[in-house]
Amino acid sequence: MIRTFDDLDRLAAEKGPKRFIVLAPEDEEFMLAVKQSWQRGFIEPVLIGSRDKIERLAGEAQFDITPFEKIFESDRQGIANRGISMLFSGDVDMAGKGQIPTAFIYRSIIREESKARKGTMVSVISLWDIGGLGHLTSLTDTGVNINPDYESKIEIIRNAVFLFHLLGYPKPRISVLSGQREIGGTLESYRDFERLRDVARKGELGSCEVIDATSIADIFLAGRKSFASYAEIPIGKAAFPEILLMPNLSTGNILVKLDFVIPHVRRRSLVMTTRGPVIIPSRSDFHDAIVGEIALGVVTADRVRKA
Amino acid sequence: MLRNFKDIREAAGRTGKKRLVFAPSGPAVGPAALHEAVRAGLIVPVFVGDVAATEKTLRERGFSPRDFEIIGEPDPVRSAALAIDLVRGNRADIVMQGSLGHQPFLDLVLDRERGLLRNRVASFVSLFDPPALDRLTMVTDTYLHNSPSIADKITITENAVQLARLLGIASPKIAALSAIEQVNPAIPSTMDAAILAKMAERKQFGDVTIEGPLDIDCAVNERAATRKGVHSTVTGQADIYLVPNVEAGYLTAQISVFIAGTPMAGVLMGTTHPVVINYPITSGENKLAEIALAVLLSGTSK
Repeated sequence: MIRTFDDLDRLAAEKGPKRFIVLAPEDEEFMLAVKQSWQRGFIEPVLIGSRDKIERLAGEAQFDITPFEKIFESDRQGIANRGISMLFSGDVDMAGKGQIPTAFIYRSIIREESKARKGTMVSVISLWDIGGLGHLTSLTDTGVNINPDYESKIEIIRNAVFLFHLLGYPKPRISVLSGQREIGGTLESYRDFERLRDVARKGELGSCEVIDATSIADIFLAGRKSFASYAEIPIGKAAFPEILLMPNLSTGNILVKLDFVIPHVRRRSLVMTTRGPVIIPSRSDFHDAIVGEIALGVVTADRVRKA
Repeated sequence: MLRNFKDIREAAGRTGKKRLVFAPSGPAVGPAALHEAVRAGLIVPVFVGDVAATEKTLRERGFSPRDFEIIGEPDPVRSAALAIDLVRGNRADIVMQGSLGHQPFLDLVLDRERGLLRNRVASFVSLFDPPALDRLTMVTDTYLHNSPSIADKITITENAVQLARLLGIASPKIAALSAIEQVNPAIPSTMDAAILAKMAERKQFGDVTIEGPLDIDCAVNERAATRKGVHSTVTGQADIYLVPNVEAGYLTAQISVFIAGTPMAGVLMGTTHPVVINYPITSGENKLAEIALAVLLSGTSK
């Protein structure tokens, strides 16, 4: 079982290098991340994007890209289509988003998945490594579906459960998060929780468990009505789930980036396709964070092929 | 300017004692913080509820019931209503929720005829005292509104600005949060945020700066904002974070409390008199800050 990001980094060096198609590496931080991931033995990059920009940024990063395969293409959708089809044909092991709108990549993934008649829905899974927790957790969907309905939430759960099985968690626990309080009536997200809990119990979501907690407070307080101090509720003692299902995108996007203000939380995000991972760094991520996301991609790529 | 919870407690100690009505009382006579506030000279408590049970509980806690004013009203809903009447009649300053459910208690407090609602809507602010910052930050609305309309958000903003002014923040900086930093009709909260920002530009909130829509990374981190091409005096400097809905607000507050471990006090705003509610995620050790804030708020909003 992979419990921390340090585990991921160690495994990435062991299982790499993986062929990694980099979709439009046209930004300094991103190019630097590709260089460092290559130096650490995680990846063998395939670079696709605008020739001028790639060559200029590689020069600025003092990164000699002559040994690598390069595909020059300036149309943004063209870059996404070509890169993602290489992932689905098995020509590369993983893909990563550079300076290209995320929506273009999602469109390419949906196109390839429907060709493969899988019809899975695209969702972003953001892993959190919380110091002191002892296992990985995740927030999803943090990037695609603005207001996922019950059916969409089932697909979002399936994608995350698939990832956690790959990471060595045989029965991941899921908290269907809601803003439900003792006031304000019943929220749609709470109704979704009740239905998802019931179908999970019947085994319709595969090997996983929807727990009764629908909020972070529920997870920590576990039925207590009050608590005197934070020292009473250390995270290591909480039955903290592996998957936190977000009620909607605004909530997911705000919660997932709270790592910016919590020193002991680190974040890495990806989209799982049936043929391998697509890492989706945030446009605000710096190179060290992107290297970490590449390591996550390497490990999941390795395990998708073996699964 | 009040920069942390300690400053708030000290400032409350300088205003003179306020009369705080705790209702309904009985098997509950308030958290330890209420009694701490009495000892610290911040408040004089008045209990409304079951007299015999209140006296018994007070004795069990080591107090002499004769030292306190206790008003008999055994029915929980009527005792909370009576407490509200006492502050409406200026015979007390602050109401504090006792053992009555959140919905019935708030229904009484926010009743347009007989309650304490002052502004168009009331709203809830989670006030944080992050150890790494030398100032307080606010997130709102974190409890009351499921999906606030733009009209609600305007009042939610005004309510938070009122609290900021009480804390001595002369020109509050506000981040109107959404999922992305671009205006996108598919995500209505981006449009609400843009409207609020434009209103602030036209000085409709007074001396206030609002930037929006902002996603949270742009709001909290100036370097991240620069990478995304957002340049604003608010990025990395926000005093107030306006959230798009209660799911985002309440869950942000919960992560900040339970995972980040940031001290948090909840404040109900938009009422004629301060009301201390049982916000489910306030820890006992931060409850005194809530009472101290109520003391400071008292007399500021009639």
